[in-house]
Order: sequence, then structure tokens, then C-alpha cells
Amino acid sequence: MRTKKRFLTRNESYLLAIVLIYSTIVALKNPAFLSFENFFDLLRAASGKLLLALGVFVVLISGGIDVSFTAIAIFGGYTSARLMLATDIDNLAFAFLVSASIGILLGSINALIIHIFRLPTLIATLGTSSVFFGLMTILVGTKSINAGQMPSSIINFGSARLFEAVAPSGNTYGLSVFIIPVVFAILVTWFVLYRTMLGRGIFSLGNSEESAKRAGFNLFLIRFFVYSYVGLLAGIMGVVYVAEVRWVNPVSLVGTELSIIAAAVIGGAKLTGGEGTILGTILGIIIIQLFNSTLVFLGLSSSWNDLFVGMILLISVSVTSYQQRLKSRRSLTFSD
Amino acid sequence: MNLKKFARQDTTLIVLIFITLVVFLVLWWILGKQFFSLNNFQSMGYQIPEFGFLALAMAVTMLTGGIDLSVVANANLAGILAAFVLTRRFDFFANFSEPALVVTACLVALFVAAVAGLFNGLLISKLSVPPILATLGTMTFFNGISMAITSGEGVVGFPEMFLNIGSGAVGNIPLIFILFIIASLVVGFMLERTSTGLGVYLYGENRIAALFAGLRTENLIIRVYFLSGLLSGFASIIMISRFNSAKVGYGDTYLLQAILVSVLGGIAPEGGRGRVLGVVLGIFILQALQSAFTLFAFTPYAKKLIWGSMLLLVMVINFVIDRWRSRSRKFVLEQEPATTNP
Repeated sequence: MRTKKRFLTRNESYLLAIVLIYSTIVALKNPAFLSFENFFDLLRAASGKLLLALGVFVVLISGGIDVSFTAIAIFGGYTSARLMLATDIDNLAFAFLVSASIGILLGSINALIIHIFRLPTLIATLGTSSVFFGLMTILVGTKSINAGQMPSSIINFGSARLFEAVAPSGNTYGLSVFIIPVVFAILVTWFVLYRTMLGRGIFSLGNSEESAKRAGFNLFLIRFFVYSYVGLLAGIMGVVYVAEVRWVNPVSLVGTELSIIAAAVIGGAKLTGGEGTILGTILGIIIIQLFNSTLVFLGLSSSWNDLFVGMILLISVSVTSYQQRLKSRRSLTFSD
Repeated sequence: MNLKKFARQDTTLIVLIFITLVVFLVLWWILGKQFFSLNNFQSMGYQIPEFGFLALAMAVTMLTGGIDLSVVANANLAGILAAFVLTRRFDFFANFSEPALVVTACLVALFVAAVAGLFNGLLISKLSVPPILATLGTMTFFNGISMAITSGEGVVGFPEMFLNIGSGAVGNIPLIFILFIIASLVVGFMLERTSTGLGVYLYGENRIAALFAGLRTENLIIRVYFLSGLLSGFASIIMISRFNSAKVGYGDTYLLQAILVSVLGGIAPEGGRGRVLGVVLGIFILQALQSAFTLFAFTPYAKKLIWGSMLLLVMVINFVIDRWRSRSRKFVLEQEPATTNP
């Protein structure tokens, strides 16, 4: 039986409603919120998180979880910036190449460990996260790079805009080029998941490892793709992150991974695998980013951020889990 | 529990005891008197309980095949609220005498942490939220509450009497260390000598079997996470008493270490296997290494690298041992029909 395809899943429409209602409240309280300038700022700030969240989304679909991607991102971003300074190659493509290769390499290490030793993905990536981070501090160092030292190509990338406009206040603003890798990543993720055999394998692995194996999927290749893909996106995000904040402190970023996972989960991705939508993930990140940057408009300090994110996360997982529970009860399955 | 299983668990323990001895001997050999001094052991005794309680809290939930990511956030929230009492943040406590204040603070910490654990348990059992997600959510939520009520600032300045909890000693043995040993004995007794404990192991091994065996599994899970919360509460009291302040983000590294120690101590992450004695040994090993690293003057990053690799290494070794075991078992299974055939 095929269910009728809807434009939005139920979860997505809830999320959209939350975004709209919350934005209306903020806009009523502070009309300054409703400006293109602010909207573009929000998009720019959310770009890096979106890249990470897409990777997390793919891992969650495959039934795993990855907490090492922030360590991979900072490893890639920081190393490429250091390498550019050391070799005097001031080229953005070089930065992306270095960072993405590091990402793929570290991601594939995750895949190998998880596949060969059948470790629980959370604990395995918790371990590799510390290992990656420790390796970076030992191999590359822990000194921060400030805006003055930063290679100019990265600085330019951070401030480049697709188009610009002048605000009534006289400030120029515009859509940051960060949107390009994000749109690209969304398209690739969509294509791989919904238009290739590999994507079917990822969904299949998430739904049931045993049946995926019996259906003849090569689980090693699937895992290898999934974890290297997270690594790749994290590597790209590393450069975007460095360009966004204009200076890099190697101890930053690590520790924010749970909020990205939270976003993907709020977006409807199930930890048990096989379920979730790209649009949901994007909405999840938008919600988290909204709280991040608009609590100030409501007159609350950023300290309240976690409280709201935690509440939304708890409510969203409780509702979906409870629905699942009722469904299992009705069909007398006790496995969930 | 049958005899075979008991013997199997004992091999894990024997390996652990062996590793503990080797670690201590090697450290003795390298560091000599520096390591094997009353002073060093005493300071280890002061440092163990802090995350020992968190490790116990993590271990009991992992025995059921779950995980409690909120232990540290929970301890911080309980600690901050207890610190509010201790610093007389509210007028209500203005007239409290010092002992009354200390007792109230401890009760507040335990109560808050236990309620938080109960909340986890209810989410997991009554709403069927997967433990990772439920505790990830409450971790963010508890941190959010702590952050919102303190704005990220530390709460400092506790009465002398409260600080004595963390620094007091009976003879040469730190008070908190004794407390930790008692707690381990109680948790160990509960797991191995009571029906609740048997239920925990059965649930961890096969939750559907536990349900069909007539176990009240929902009730059991609530109790397990309640216990986990309560243990985090003890950790919070020790933590703020030793730091003389309470702040969001204290002990963040303990989360990784608590999982590491549980796995190191023989708790299988998929549940159903492992003993408290193993966890306690794991804590000793970790603390011995921790002290040695401090003597070697390792950076916190190097430590992180070592903890991470250790976690992976232990898991890999467990995998290899498991596979070796299941191979030899398969061998037995294949042999059996052959022997029955004439």
C-alpha cells in the first residue's frame, strides 16, 4: 500500500508552525527582526551547522550516530589554515581540498572501526572524537590564529556575497556565498539518498541490518560511504567555520556536536534509523539557529538558549516516541 | 545464574585484576616512591569519588542496555541549587544555622538529582523514548536550567563545615572515599543479591524475555534511572564541596571517562553483563593513570587522546575475546549432533 505523498510530513508541518509562530512573536516584540539583513545574517550563521546536520542526518538514517564530526571539522579547518600559513599557498581551493581530504580520511577511520569491530557507534565515535582532537593538538598545535594572520583568501571567502543591497540604515548587506556549499550538499544528499542504490542501502541498513545483509547490500561499502560522507561535510564545514568567525581557536567547536544531533532529531530523524527527511533536518537547524540568534530580540540573554533547545528536543522526541509506542501496542510488537 | 556464566564473568574480572596489578606495578617501576607514597594514594582517594559516583550512575544504566548522558548535567544542576542554599541566595535560608544549612543543601542536591533521574526514567519507560535521546534531551535541558539561573557564572563561598565533606578524613582515609566504597557495596549488593538486580541483568540481556517473564519492566527502568540520578546527586555534593563553587560545565570531561570506566570495568554497552567490582577496579586503574599523567605533566589534550584510544582499545579487545568465545561455543554446538549420531 502506498500512502499518498504529501507536500510536508506531519512533523515538518509542526516544525514549520513553530518557526512561523516563534518568528511572529519575535517580530511583534521587535520589528527589527523582520529585515532581509537579519534574515541573511541568520542564513550565514546557520550554514556551517546545516552542513554538519546533513551529515548527521545521513548517519542517523543508517541507524548509527556520530559524535566525532565537530572534532573532524576543527581538525580540517584548523589544519588547512595552519598549512596555508606554513606553505604560503593562499588559495581557497587548497583549503577546501586539504580539509575535505582530512575529513574523508578521519571519517573512513570511523567506518573501519565501526564495521570491523562491530562497536556501538556512539561509544566508538566518542572515542575517536577524543583521539582526533588529541592528535590534532599534538600534530598541529593549539595556538589560535587571529584575523590578522588569517590567509586573505579565507577572509575574502568569509565576507564574499552573492548579491548585495543597501539597508535603510546605510549598511550594505547581502547573501553570503556560504549558501553555495550548503545548497550543493543538500542536492548531493538528496540525490544519493533518494535516487541511488546506495541510498536504498542506507535506508535499508537503518531499518534492519539483518535484512539489508540478506538483501545483498554490501554493508561495508554503505558504512564506509556514510561515515566518510559525514567526514567530508565536516571537512568542508571546517573551512566555512574558519571563514565565518575569521579567527580560529582549536578548542572551539568541539562540544557543540550534541546540539547538531538535537537539530537532526528535532527534524524527525529517528535514532533507530531508517526515518527522517532532509527538509525536517533543515527546519531543525533553523529552529536552533533562531533561538541562538533571536533570544536577544526577546530581551533574554543567550544563557536561555539551551533551555529552549532542550525543551523542544524533549517534547519532540516524547511525542514521536509515544506515537510509536501506541502503534507498537496496537500491533502487539514489543521490540520498540 | 548458572555456574558457567559465573565462571565466564569471573574471567573478565581476573583479567581486570591482572591489568590493575600490571598498571600499578609498571607505575611503581617507572615512578617509584613518587607514585607509591601515602601522599599520592591519599590524593587519589580524594579524586576517585567525584567521578566514581558518576561512573556508577552510568554503569547501572548501561547494564540495562541504556545509557545516561545526563549524569554530569544532572550533577551540575543539583550542585548549583545546593550552592544557592549554601550561599543563602534566598531569604528563606537567612536564619538557618550552619549545620542546618549544610544538611538542607545536601538534601536539596540529592532530591533534585533523584527527581531528575526519575524524569529520565519516566521518559524512557512510560513514553518509550530511546535512552540516548531521552538523556541527550535532559542533558541539554538540565544544562539549560543551570545556565538560565546562573547566567553561566559560578556560585562561590560555602561554609567551612560543608567544605569538610570534601576534605575531611577518618585517620588517613578520606571521608568521601569511604562514602564511595559504601555506595559501591550497596549498588553491588543490589545488583547481585536482590530481585531488582536480577531483573536489571535479565532486562539488559533480553528485554522482551524480561517482559514476558512477567517482570514489571517499566517500573524497573524507572528505578534504575532514579538510582542513577541519586548517585549523580552524591557526585554533585562531592564536586561542589571540593571545588568550593558550583558552575555550569564543571566535570564535562567526566562523561567520556564515566563511559570509559564502565566499558573498561566489563560492562557490555548492549547490556546484561558486568559487575560493580569491575567498575570499581576500572576506576582505580583510570585514577592511577590519571595521577601518573599528572606526575608526567601531560597536557589535558594528551590525556584526552589517551582516554579516547583506551576506550577504543578496550572495546576492540572485548570484541576479540567475544568472537573467540563465540567461536569456541559454535565449535561445541557443531560437535554435539555428531556425538549423538551413532
